[in-house]
Amino acid sequence: MNPQFLMDGLIAGAMIGLGAIGVTLTYSILRFANFAHGELLAWGAYLALAVSGALGLFSTTLTRPIGLFSFGWSLPLAAIIAIVLTGLLALAVDGMLFGRLRARGGAVIILVMASFGASLALRSLLEFIFTSKPAYYTKALQIAVQIGGGLRATPDQLLSLGVALAAVIAIHLMMTRTDIGRSMRAVSENSALAGIAGVDVRKVIRVVWFVGAALACIAGIMTGLLVQIRPYLGHDLLLPLFAAAILGGIGSVPGAMIAGLIVGLSEAAAVQLVGAEWRAAVSFVILVAVLLLRPRGLFGRAA
Amino acid sequence: MTAPALSTQALIAGYEPDLPIVRGVDLSVAQGELLVLLGPNGAGKSTLVKAIAGVVPVHFGSIMLGERDITRVAAHRKIGEGLAFVPQTENIFATLTIHENLQLAAAVLPKKLRVEKIAALYRRFPDLATKPTRLAGALSGGQRQMLAVARALIVDPSVLILDEPSAGLSPKIVAEVFAMLKEINAGGGTVILVEQNVKAALAIASRAVILVEGKIRHEGEASSLLGDPLIARLYLGTSQPQKAEQP
Repeated sequence: MNPQFLMDGLIAGAMIGLGAIGVTLTYSILRFANFAHGELLAWGAYLALAVSGALGLFSTTLTRPIGLFSFGWSLPLAAIIAIVLTGLLALAVDGMLFGRLRARGGAVIILVMASFGASLALRSLLEFIFTSKPAYYTKALQIAVQIGGGLRATPDQLLSLGVALAAVIAIHLMMTRTDIGRSMRAVSENSALAGIAGVDVRKVIRVVWFVGAALACIAGIMTGLLVQIRPYLGHDLLLPLFAAAILGGIGSVPGAMIAGLIVGLSEAAAVQLVGAEWRAAVSFVILVAVLLLRPRGLFGRAA
Repeated sequence: MTAPALSTQALIAGYEPDLPIVRGVDLSVAQGELLVLLGPNGAGKSTLVKAIAGVVPVHFGSIMLGERDITRVAAHRKIGEGLAFVPQTENIFATLTIHENLQLAAAVLPKKLRVEKIAALYRRFPDLATKPTRLAGALSGGQRQMLAVARALIVDPSVLILDEPSAGLSPKIVAEVFAMLKEINAGGGTVILVEQNVKAALAIASRAVILVEGKIRHEGEASSLLGDPLIARLYLGTSQPQKAEQP
């Protein structure tokens, strides 16, 4: 078995893990499965593409590749702006749709169905604006280099892994060491008591949307950089995202990332062992197995 | 004449607008008083305190904290106003540690004060200080109640409201919890207590209000209620006048 599957799996897993953190946070705090979360990945990728393209028009030096990487400064700058814009998009969707349904005391199933609608609308809007033709941040080719143990990776891939790791550590520290993180965990456990204890639950919900969308944006940009940018980029990752969120244990940030890596590595192993056509089945098998055998996941709390 | 610590005027409240549970309550709690709310099941005692805390919608009337109208103040802002509420069940965050529970509550205070306030609470409740990194969900019933009260006390509230703090606790722990409330009251704190444990509550209360079908039916000195056979029979679930018991 070619050990290269480990690197492929880690990279796919890091993207899944980042997306799954957003799923797990919204699920644990807003108590519904947001099927529009994948669209935030795609919107993040396209927003970065648009901003990076616009920056390139202002200054061609910004598009010149930085060191060993395939992209210029326009992409990291665009990524920062895209993270903010994706966060604002998530807040806008919540304000227009989910927030109104919550205020009316809408049942969970109504929120879930609304998220299907939001997913369709957001994806169609992307196709309408950017067409369904694949796009790329850069046309520069990268050669994978030996990194030891028979593994090869491109500098872009290694940077993406580093960014994913840094993002997870930052979110984990936020959840465990800061007032807003404690408030998020408190709202996740008991939102009524959190309110009595002085936590502004509406503010926590806004932070959750923003953080989830920011991570989705990073995952989307990673996918766009390492694979390609398509309107279905996030939608195609939806099943792995949910498999990772549930395997990690709803509400657990490190759990979502570790489970994302497990899902990514399992998919890559399946490609080598049984064939690429079975890749999509892996997430499904993991999802069903966890729900049947250990519904609270690896790091989730008992009901 | 000083304003009451807390008062309600013609308060109507309930989960649904057309199904009021609290039906026109005029309550007045003096500064430094320990008031116990009594009444049969379904009388609206818990709904009344939840409405005051902002957890149950108020449909009519007003709530004054001192001289400030807090009727429309959001639940999460009431603690900052000086009104602390300890619910009957699920009154701590089980998945957070003891210290995190206190840090969460202290977040409404200015940053400079937080560490000192938490340290003061640990001195007051040494049981909590023995293992602050312990998950609150692992605490015993009495320790949980202690943590819930500590969480509420962190802001030095002008009024502390507790909804049946004795529920589910052994008599020994109930005595400890009530002694703690008595001590808070002796220190000048205004306490409102909803209780089913009539004898123990009246023993520490200065005044009692009896609620029936969402309205105040009777109020008076705690000691006089204990000695009133009619009140005892009708509302307190006892046939004989009670003698106050020290917890």
